[in-house]
Amino acid sequence: MCEAKRPMHREVGESGMKEARILIVDDSAVMRKIVERALRQAGLDPLLVREAGSGTEGLEVLRTSVVDLILSDINMPSMDGLEFVRRIRAQKLAPGVPVVMITTESSEEHVKQAIEAGARGYIRKPFTAEQVKERVLPLLGAL
Amino acid sequence: MALSLRESLHLVCDPGNLDAAVEEVFQLMVGVRCLRHAELPENEAEPESVTAMVGFAGLLSGACVFKSGRAAAIQIAARLTGMEFDAIDDTVKDALGEICNMLAGTWKGRNPDLAAHCGLSIPAVVTGRDYHLRVLASEFKLHHCYCFEDARFAVIILCDGLK
Repeated sequence: MCEAKRPMHREVGESGMKEARILIVDDSAVMRKIVERALRQAGLDPLLVREAGSGTEGLEVLRTSVVDLILSDINMPSMDGLEFVRRIRAQKLAPGVPVVMITTESSEEHVKQAIEAGARGYIRKPFTAEQVKERVLPLLGAL
Repeated sequence: MALSLRESLHLVCDPGNLDAAVEEVFQLMVGVRCLRHAELPENEAEPESVTAMVGFAGLLSGACVFKSGRAAAIQIAARLTGMEFDAIDDTVKDALGEICNMLAGTWKGRNPDLAAHCGLSIPAVVTGRDYHLRVLASEFKLHHCYCFEDARFAVIILCDGLK
């Protein structure tokens, strides 16, 4: 069954942390867990974490689930992160939901491509929880 | 004018870039400070070794290789994930593939031309015993060994093509 098609409005939950439903797209299960841990360390409570191993799987998740934030790797098999973001925007699957790329690619060119594809932020691996906090929490300000 | 790395080859193969990449990845993601070490000993007591590889393509072609014995592999994966392992399972392999991926990305990111015009492959991980890896490195090769606590590992940059 799908979750409610509306944004979450509980900004701070019982844990005192900002709550959000999050989709993490990365072909590495280890990296998905590391990203989730970094979000918790950054003060975000991922109430519901959806995981996908490729852009293709990520699109499937978005067809049946509502999320508040999408974090995606770029370099993935099957469908890379840039194409994933382009399709989200073209298919209007998660209107208004910020996408943040988390990737080892760090050049200005890659950042530009990600923003042009429809991403709102960019985090380079390796990263610290502080960097995740700085780049992700402002995007969830309206929650 | 076509972009070329030939004139800045001395910068591309500066050994300090590899040391800096290892330091950054291991400090931020594994939580340890690594020191340069002598060559990895061929340890007969080590039952298994792990080799992770990420290919480079574009301005530079070649590979970034991470290599360690079983104990170091498990130690690094445990620190990276916060989990405990008693064998080299799929999660350990995944973790070391990601370490190699970050090493490759951080190393190439230290050169703006490489950062923008050299792509990375998906990591590949090989485990086992009594195997030898032979990869062409006709342009240059950096082979550094590092240690933290009692863990030792090697990181190798192989370049077999440069534009």
